[in-house]
Amino acid sequence: MKDVMGIIYTGEKDSFLRELTLLRAIAALPVAGRYRVIDFLVSDMVNSGIRNVGVIMQKNYHSLMDHLGSGKEWDLHGKNDGLYILPPFLTRENVGVYTGSLDALHSNMSYLRRSRQEYVLFCNSLIVYNANFNAIMDVYAQGDCDAVMMYTKDPGMQRPEYGSYLDVDKDGMIRDVEIDPTKPRYENTSMDAILISKSLLMELVDRGVAHGYHDLMRDVIQRMIRDAGLKVKGYEYKDLCYRMDSVQGYFNFNLDTLNIDVRHHLFPEDRPVYTKVRDELPARYLDDAKVVNSMVADGCIIDGTLEHSVLFRGVHIAKGATVKNCIIMQDSHVEEGAYLENCILDKQARVKRDGRLIGPKAYPIVISKNMVI
Amino acid sequence: MMNKKQCVAMLLAGGQGSRLGILTSDMAKPAIPYGGKYRIIDFPLSNCTNSGIDVVGVLTQYQPQVLNAYIGSGSPWDLDLAHGGVYVLPPYVKGKSGEWYSGTANAIYQNLQFIEQFNTDYVLILSGDHIYKMDYNRMLQFHIQNNADCTIAVREVPWDEASRFGIMNTAEDNSISEFEEKPAKPKSNKASMGVYIFTWEKLRQYLMADAQDPSSANDFGKNIIPAMLGDSQRMFAYDFEGYWKDVGTIESLWEANMDLLSLPMPIDLYDKKWRIYGRNPGMAPHFIAEGGSAKNSLITEGCEVYGRVDHSVLFAGVVVKEGASVIDSVLMPGAVVERGAQVRRAIIAEEAVIGAGSVIGGETGNIAVVGQNVVLPAGSVVKPGEQCSGK
Repeated sequence: MKDVMGIIYTGEKDSFLRELTLLRAIAALPVAGRYRVIDFLVSDMVNSGIRNVGVIMQKNYHSLMDHLGSGKEWDLHGKNDGLYILPPFLTRENVGVYTGSLDALHSNMSYLRRSRQEYVLFCNSLIVYNANFNAIMDVYAQGDCDAVMMYTKDPGMQRPEYGSYLDVDKDGMIRDVEIDPTKPRYENTSMDAILISKSLLMELVDRGVAHGYHDLMRDVIQRMIRDAGLKVKGYEYKDLCYRMDSVQGYFNFNLDTLNIDVRHHLFPEDRPVYTKVRDELPARYLDDAKVVNSMVADGCIIDGTLEHSVLFRGVHIAKGATVKNCIIMQDSHVEEGAYLENCILDKQARVKRDGRLIGPKAYPIVISKNMVI
Repeated sequence: MMNKKQCVAMLLAGGQGSRLGILTSDMAKPAIPYGGKYRIIDFPLSNCTNSGIDVVGVLTQYQPQVLNAYIGSGSPWDLDLAHGGVYVLPPYVKGKSGEWYSGTANAIYQNLQFIEQFNTDYVLILSGDHIYKMDYNRMLQFHIQNNADCTIAVREVPWDEASRFGIMNTAEDNSISEFEEKPAKPKSNKASMGVYIFTWEKLRQYLMADAQDPSSANDFGKNIIPAMLGDSQRMFAYDFEGYWKDVGTIESLWEANMDLLSLPMPIDLYDKKWRIYGRNPGMAPHFIAEGGSAKNSLITEGCEVYGRVDHSVLFAGVVVKEGASVIDSVLMPGAVVERGAQVRRAIIAEEAVIGAGSVIGGETGNIAVVGQNVVLPAGSVVKPGEQCSGK
């Protein structure tokens, strides 16, 4: 995969994530106790041998930049290649805000041009999985196609009015793409990852922009597939994947990591997920800690009851507090006697002594960053 | 020549640490895991970087592979620098011959050229044997203010233990009048911590002279310090207060780990202004399963707990299976305790596997040890105080 560069587009619509994406991009959402959504994709790329990763930023990208830094944690800080952070910028022909992925790619044509790789793996950031991308390259290498798109048959990935759905024939060729249908007609959900030669991608971008188009998938690839102007094969991904496209999806994904099989699939020993390191002490359990079925990150101090929950780094659960079915982000505090069920606490939130918050399972309560309840 | 560095640290990491038994049979003592996610060397390295000392030479000799790989480029400690950083300094061949480091002073002597290239004024000598947080820069300022030739960090030990240490007898201004190694009748309770700052020009002279003396043991404590005292050089004791623990024996290593479980923690490792850095194995947060329990313990990333963990320290990737119990113990990275096994007052070294139903250690007695990579079959027994190397 040395010949492949990765580009991650982080400008997806995020309004379904309510308070969680007020201050950050979906890619920067904290997940699974110590990660951000984008860690999976960047780690997948690095673990597959990709050495050049560009991350296209759109709005709210401060926390994402802060997180990725120089790319050191992913070994992407070399002299050649490495991590490229690509924020929007203003020039004569560039308005600074991308309407879609085509605009974003067009703004970064010079990055594409000067990269040494022959192929591009272009991904959106809101799907989480631990994949080896060499499999998608293998499909491409079999020939007879211009590009390969990754998809899943997992019915849990289908959403009304959201996502791309693929018609794949028996030879693996994609015949149609439907984008955001009310009721998906095809069982194959696109995972928003496409492998294509760099020269062809650059040609498509140039041609698309010249025709006043904005989105690579909707305006260019979809049309060309329908007109048989582009031969795109599908690669079926058969392992676990999750969409971070709603609060419920986010909540379920985090709680799913408490299933030991899911845990071992998402964090296999030979394909670790890398992230920014915080150098915290291991989690500390005190005398009154009662913990079952939970994932707990370093730096936590626990003296209360914890059931079926995910705690991020530096969370404090005081004596006599109870936390059930919750996602509690970095440095939040649950004080003595408080009771939380079906809640998502964003970073540095605090639930004061004896506070009670019980959300319905299907619509967890979201407490914003820095809130004191 | 490099740009000038005010102070260069030299970390003596070549000792075997033979009192740690089978734990150091395959790795040098500074590489021993401590506190759930650290290795001993993280403490002096983090102290250096937090003190603003950004050149650290690490002198290795005994079983250096684990240490070398762990230090790597020095990036976990922000010591991967273009001008300075961490350097691993093993003994090397000179001309037609080569020689091992014959003593602590000789190790520095053999690296004179390394130190000279930084055009430094002061040299800080450290060892990789202790758990402590210390601002070396404050000690350096003390050294400079006193216009000292040598400053030795000391801490007050209980009087009845003073005869086990190297004791500094000092005047009111903290100048050192006498140094006594393990005195029968101590006149002071200020024990040397093995942390020295020398004015480089002065140390250089003494190292050169020491190298010419065939009867010398080439040791700081035995030769260099007494020689400087004999010549009435300006030598001062720098008082250190705070947690300091020698982890040179199985019992003290175990105790130092257990110290982290007491309340309040005697060494504040939560201090954001003085973090202890280490290499991160990059594992998911740990998981406590249905039926598992954890109390009074430190547990880190990658662990999976299906059994009972009480008053113990679990390093990265440890697995405690159903029905197993781990009490008053230290489980180093990757150790696995199979179903129904009981581990009590024990240290289980890296990647060791305790077979189902085994009984390791006991409620009383000395600490039991199971060595690195040892795979114990089901039903094994390792008695208190026993060391099981699997050989």
